[in-house]
Amino acid sequence: MKSILNLLIAIPTLLLSTSCDGQIKNAKIVTVKIDGNCEMCEKTIESAANQKKAASVDWNKDTKQATITYDDSKTTPDEILKRVALAGYDNEKFLAPDDAYAGLPGCCKYERNRKKSELKGSVTGKSEDTTTESTSVNQSTVTNQFKTIFDSYFELKNALVKTDAKMAGLKATHLTSQLNKVDMSKLENSQHEAWMKVYKDLIARSELIATAKNIEDQRTQFMVVSKNMHELAKVAKLDTAVYYQHCPMYNDGKGANWLSMENAVKNPYYGSQMLNCGKTIETIK
Amino acid sequence: MNYFKHMIFGIAAILCNYSFAQKKVRYDLYVRDTVVNFAGKEKKAYSVNGQIPMPELHFTEGDTAEIYIHNELQTETSIHWHGLILPNEQDGVPYLTTAPIKAGTTHIYKFPLVQNGTYWYHSHTKLQEQVGMYGAFIIHKKKKQELPEYTMVLSDWTNMKPFEVHRRLHNANDWSAIKKAKIQKGAAQSYADAIADKSLGIKLMNEWKRMLAMDVSDVYYDKFLTNGKTEDEASQFKAGDKIRLRIINGSSSTYFWLKYAGGKINVVASDGMDVEPVEVDRLIIAVAEIYDVVVTIPSDSTAFEFLATSEDRIRNTSLWLGSGVKQLASPLEPLKYFEGMKMMNGMINMDGNLDDMGMNMSLQQMDMNVVMYPEITGRKNDRNTKEHDHSQMENQYNSNALSDIVTLNYSMLRSPTKTKLPDAPTKILNFTFTGNMNRYVWSINNKTVSETDKIMIKKGENVRIILYNNSMMRHPMHLHGHFFRIVNKHGDYSPLKNVLDIMPMETDTIEFAATESGDWFFHCHILYHMMSGMGRIFSYENSPPNPQLPDPKKALRKLYRDDREFHFMFENDFASNGNDGEMMYMNTRWKFQTEWRLGYMNEHGYEAEAHFGRYFGKMQWLFPYVGFDWRYRKMHSDEIEKNIFGQYNTKDLRSALCFGVQYTLPFMVVADGRIDSDGKFRLQLMREDIPLSKRLRMSLMYNSDLEYMGGLKYILSKTFALSAHYDSDMGFGGGFTFTY
Repeated sequence: MKSILNLLIAIPTLLLSTSCDGQIKNAKIVTVKIDGNCEMCEKTIESAANQKKAASVDWNKDTKQATITYDDSKTTPDEILKRVALAGYDNEKFLAPDDAYAGLPGCCKYERNRKKSELKGSVTGKSEDTTTESTSVNQSTVTNQFKTIFDSYFELKNALVKTDAKMAGLKATHLTSQLNKVDMSKLENSQHEAWMKVYKDLIARSELIATAKNIEDQRTQFMVVSKNMHELAKVAKLDTAVYYQHCPMYNDGKGANWLSMENAVKNPYYGSQMLNCGKTIETIK
Repeated sequence: MNYFKHMIFGIAAILCNYSFAQKKVRYDLYVRDTVVNFAGKEKKAYSVNGQIPMPELHFTEGDTAEIYIHNELQTETSIHWHGLILPNEQDGVPYLTTAPIKAGTTHIYKFPLVQNGTYWYHSHTKLQEQVGMYGAFIIHKKKKQELPEYTMVLSDWTNMKPFEVHRRLHNANDWSAIKKAKIQKGAAQSYADAIADKSLGIKLMNEWKRMLAMDVSDVYYDKFLTNGKTEDEASQFKAGDKIRLRIINGSSSTYFWLKYAGGKINVVASDGMDVEPVEVDRLIIAVAEIYDVVVTIPSDSTAFEFLATSEDRIRNTSLWLGSGVKQLASPLEPLKYFEGMKMMNGMINMDGNLDDMGMNMSLQQMDMNVVMYPEITGRKNDRNTKEHDHSQMENQYNSNALSDIVTLNYSMLRSPTKTKLPDAPTKILNFTFTGNMNRYVWSINNKTVSETDKIMIKKGENVRIILYNNSMMRHPMHLHGHFFRIVNKHGDYSPLKNVLDIMPMETDTIEFAATESGDWFFHCHILYHMMSGMGRIFSYENSPPNPQLPDPKKALRKLYRDDREFHFMFENDFASNGNDGEMMYMNTRWKFQTEWRLGYMNEHGYEAEAHFGRYFGKMQWLFPYVGFDWRYRKMHSDEIEKNIFGQYNTKDLRSALCFGVQYTLPFMVVADGRIDSDGKFRLQLMREDIPLSKRLRMSLMYNSDLEYMGGLKYILSKTFALSAHYDSDMGFGGGFTFTY
């Protein structure tokens, strides 16, 4: 009987004694390139890569070099780099999924040089959010200033369609910064006129979306942002068609509008609750 | 990589001998014992020609297949040609259509190939399929295919022996859930997980309705495999290539979600039959199901991930298409189990029947599981929006209406040719799928294969089956030797398939023309469901005798033995105050159970009880039994115990027969009322294995002899647990519990 009691005490002690060791054993070190921009990138990359007792990564934002220290009996550089890519960062071995990249904060949107452009005509029906994002980032020489604003706006709209408040906040921050970058002196007359009418309200509401606590407040502001964007759309001379769409139910049945790159309705005011509610009321070319 | 010991022998053994005059294609398959290391441990498995999966067999429509199976195992085996239209005795279900292939013998299959498409073949003996006996069977069209192709055979691997997996499922052993929770927090769905999720009320309601957890899949697998590898690479493809992927789910019990990092997936065939091409973002492939899809490699110097994720989202396996830097597909986020539980609570009645609330669910269009999918219904922390505010009921579970991700379902499949059955009398059958998760009983109309007669059908008639799934899991139902139409909105162009995945609460209609002869199996293709008896046998009237089965009655008894099998369970708590244990031996309906409490001193007493009884009802909540009860305890001379009915009990030395009945109450509390041959009544309430946290379980018991017990158990491994309990007879005790 005594011996059983002793055993009972011994087992937990044994269990405890093995679990207080943070060192990486059998350490191997490799250096690899991981794309990224800033300190926030560094944080995300390292926390995605690090693994207790198995992997520790130090990434330098200037050289883009990561030093990976890992226990080769427990993990491989490939496993670590896969986690980094899943967190949104392209590297020598893996490319991030498009939605992981899209989810990065604006300041972290590094240029995706590793991603090869798609062959024309080979891919059918890619959805708007992924392709437009990667191309807009890659083209550093944008002649039409409004184009970048519309790209940010559509990303914000897509986040609202997905009822993703966090993402919408990030996208709104991005939109705000794009709006602030507009150089009025380089706008055409008609654009300048429209811009002067809406820009203050637009920036203010975009900021409100960025700081809003919940998706309902974001959507309320988005209604007015969309109205302002519609004014800009008329003069923006975008190279693709833009659809002005209408949901009759939102705003206590008074209805609300938004802009979309595609004719199919994806409602940003209700998201999945009534994704396909609404109709296109105007096509701007 | 010490994969296969017999690899060299195996490769040498593939003898592919084309004989042009008769268009006969011969394969020799050598089935051997092997040792593999798929997941960190060396384990026994079966290989064919030295490989797992079995070799990919290629034929052309019109060929005659001649396949020699050389059984070099110590045990018998069989091979079933899944999806093929062939003479009954070539179908390969041992004891039903074909002679079993005894150890050390060679069996020759020979049949003409009257169709084309992607099919597969696997052992139909016991649980052999789980340990390697599955492979692709491809019949090319006579006209050459214009697209390059690649075959993807998916499977699941566990380091546990399949026999053990099966036995533990029947004992409601939750080690699988603990293993899953090690990878994905919350998967054990314990009280602690519920509290962390602010969903304790949901968890309690779930237990009130006598459910243990949301089981999306009930086996923990150590690895998922593509062509026998965690990751397979097809680097021969270049940018711009369109590739026909032949995807076969050869797993024993795993459904997979399929996604492609390079864009949309074009579905062009299912279960071997062409369908009108349909473009989707993702699809789920049921156990034993087959899809042919066309995907495109969009850009240069990149390998694109074709990702297969198990339905429980615990692990993945992938195929890389193209070469270069690897473009990942975004992984599926963990399931919101408690959202699923909440949905289930709403759908299940107190009597255990499911209620679809008038939604007429069918053909995978309404997937109640979407409530658990973050990519469709949002992440948990986005729940602050008012849910279901404006949503119409009929769209609440419609994945394609809820999001911009297009998911394939059966209503989207359309045959390119008319599939209308010939004008003939129609036999209509109604099958309701029934099951008990906790005892792992799976049946049709609450009867297993061995509990029913064969269903007689006539050649020339049409058979229509209306299926309703009243169980809590999805079932991939497979019909041997025929294609059935899945009746959908395309009417005369309804698709032809031989596997139908039916989700809980769905009602689907399938129909086929009875054109063959002999006996054909219709069963759930989840291996452990099939072995538990979830199936039926269709038998053609006036079939000629089957030369392979000289004694059909005896053969049938052998077949029935599968679902009549008894499962053994043993548990003993070696505690400081005594031994406390239980042993069970049970099958679908019957259970023999014995329990003991053995003190170390006479004052603590010794007692043992044995019960033998039968479960009744499709929920199996009622269990009447007869038993024998023996106890000895040295009492102090003036001590007499009195129960709440005013009956006295000395307990000194007693042996009595007893008759009783157990009934499972809400919260999984088992009420046990009995009377013994001395006329004593006892009423007892007991609840075991309350999941407090991932590994901590609590048991409580109280009875009318004023005895009570409370215990805690901390599960260390699949066989050992630390335990502590307090017992009114034996006092406080601690020790460890051994479970087999």
